[in-house]
Amino acid sequence: MSALQIKAEDLSVVKNNNKTVAFKTLGCRLNQYETDALVTDFSQAGYELVDYNAEPDVVIVNTCTVTNQSDQKSRSVISQTARKAKNAVVVVTGCMANNFKQKLESQENITFVVENNRKSSILTLVDAHFSGEIVHPDQLPQDVFRYQPVRKSLHTRSAVKIQDGCDNYCTFCIIPMVRGRATSRPVAEVLESVRMTVENGFKELVITGVNIGRYEDGTVRFEDLLSMILEVPGDFRVRISSLEPDGFGDEFVKLFAHPKLMPHLHLCLQSGSDKTLLRMRRMYDLTQFRRTIKKFRDVYPEFNFTTDVIVGFPGETDEEFEQTMEAVAEFNFSHVHTFKYSVRKGTRAERLENHVAEKIKVARSLSVRELSVKNQISYFASFIGKTQDVLIEKITNGIANGYGQHYIPIRFKASGAQKNTVHSVKLTEIIGDDEDCYLLGEIIA
Amino acid sequence: MSLLRPDMKMDESFYKVEEIRQLTGNTFSIKLPKARFAFKAGQHISLGIVGGNQSREYSIYSGENDENLEVLVKEVENGYFTPQLRRLKAGRMVEVHGPFGKFGMEPENAKTGKFVFIASGTGIAPFRSIVRTFPDIDYTLIHGVRYSIEAYDSHEYESNRYVVCTSRDNKGTYHGRLTSYLKSCTFAPETQFDLCGNSNMIFEALEILKEKGFDRDQIHCEVYF
Repeated sequence: MSALQIKAEDLSVVKNNNKTVAFKTLGCRLNQYETDALVTDFSQAGYELVDYNAEPDVVIVNTCTVTNQSDQKSRSVISQTARKAKNAVVVVTGCMANNFKQKLESQENITFVVENNRKSSILTLVDAHFSGEIVHPDQLPQDVFRYQPVRKSLHTRSAVKIQDGCDNYCTFCIIPMVRGRATSRPVAEVLESVRMTVENGFKELVITGVNIGRYEDGTVRFEDLLSMILEVPGDFRVRISSLEPDGFGDEFVKLFAHPKLMPHLHLCLQSGSDKTLLRMRRMYDLTQFRRTIKKFRDVYPEFNFTTDVIVGFPGETDEEFEQTMEAVAEFNFSHVHTFKYSVRKGTRAERLENHVAEKIKVARSLSVRELSVKNQISYFASFIGKTQDVLIEKITNGIANGYGQHYIPIRFKASGAQKNTVHSVKLTEIIGDDEDCYLLGEIIA
Repeated sequence: MSLLRPDMKMDESFYKVEEIRQLTGNTFSIKLPKARFAFKAGQHISLGIVGGNQSREYSIYSGENDENLEVLVKEVENGYFTPQLRRLKAGRMVEVHGPFGKFGMEPENAKTGKFVFIASGTGIAPFRSIVRTFPDIDYTLIHGVRYSIEAYDSHEYESNRYVVCTSRDNKGTYHGRLTSYLKSCTFAPETQFDLCGNSNMIFEALEILKEKGFDRDQIHCEVYF
């Protein structure tokens, strides 16, 4: 059975409920995963999943607060939601709910504000509301790992959460304040979640958390856990969500020889300048980052690296920015997620001197994006004539869309192939650029 | 007699200030009761004033087994937070969260390693914690300050292990910037370096040590603001 189909037991529950629910998710993969887990919760409880334009009974907005832009988007979505779904129960959760709790609680168009550590119990809160019970979100249990394995999802691949929170305290980052201290999910729970997610029909799992490289359960570190996950029986492949470029050694590199582990890492560089990295209080310098990239590419020459870069960090000079450009070119990232630095209240960088003017940030951001597109085209083009195993995510007008092992988007004529199946595709042509760039191919098996 | 009812529990993160120990005109330590958590020398905590709305991170200044949890604070002129800390009186409550961070000393390394600690200003805090926790550790502490009076609690270090570099007076071990002193030093190849201070000092010191041929993996940094 496909992961996206509702099972028979779900259907019977739906008949007993007649309530509808819609979700809006902003931000990172961890948020996406937590929404997917909530979708599973609500669907099993009989709620019908609908678009948020369809006047749902419940709307859950899972917000993000990582940048000013994220705050603006989150606010905008909340306003739109409240306007469109006037009679709905509006639940706001996610990192913005932590960062602006009191302010959000004072808004009349929001029914409940639920902090991240209570997010997994939103169904209980909503059910209680419809039963006429008065439950305050602060009464919900606190557990960041209480999510059940994803069964019904908004996506083809499912995340598996192994960790939450971060203790790094990078000077620009609000996440330790809104996600809390680093905590790791027990090994047995992770492995059970992997087994059940695979049983639920997912062919691709994304190992996720806030700072997964710092996973630690007793003596089990991240690479040990990953090794155990790869040994779980079943026909599935594994990706890793974004990773900090420190804390792993040669054994981690070796694991990528395993056929289930996909050769792509989103390794967060943030800056190519050692001076800027120090002001950011990052745990590595450019030499160490270069060494890590080399370790992988010496063994796996086509390994795909993508990254995050912050431009216009306080004190960033033209020279320091040029070092970032040089690093982006040298490491040949196929995609650079570029952030213009924005002040996060309460972080150390808020109080740093020499904040950079917005127009300089805009210009620097554009430069990085242009270089990123150039890298992307060059990297994607290097796969023309080669074969990739593509997991089909959707089929539109007979054209299948999905990703190959290296996380390159690929399209091909479906020719009867089904969604959520893997096919060998010979790549023939590169189309478009930036967000719309993909490789065209022909199915061969 | 406790004012708390038997069924009421004090928040575990609240600590009563025991003493503000003034070290110079603008630098002081805050002494709190013994930590209610285990920490590794070198780690930091976040500290806020109960009833306030801000907190800051400070490296722990006391040793792992000391009777008091202590942090070292330099008052920022016209700052928002540190003047409030300086005005704290014994008995006021502060809120402590932590410990945080990977910077610090593993007990096994402390027994066998050879260390050079490099600190600017109040960046000496984690190294005092390490030296108090591991009194037999083989270390040299190089401390860069402006005036010799800023050699905080210098009597606690063996004189042949503590080098104070003063840039504005000549009463230290070395008159000049810490980085100038560092350039003149030679170190054994197996030395491990731990750096704590402002980012400019750390950047310069890193460059000097790399030029001397030390691998980046021998150098551990904690940026301190």
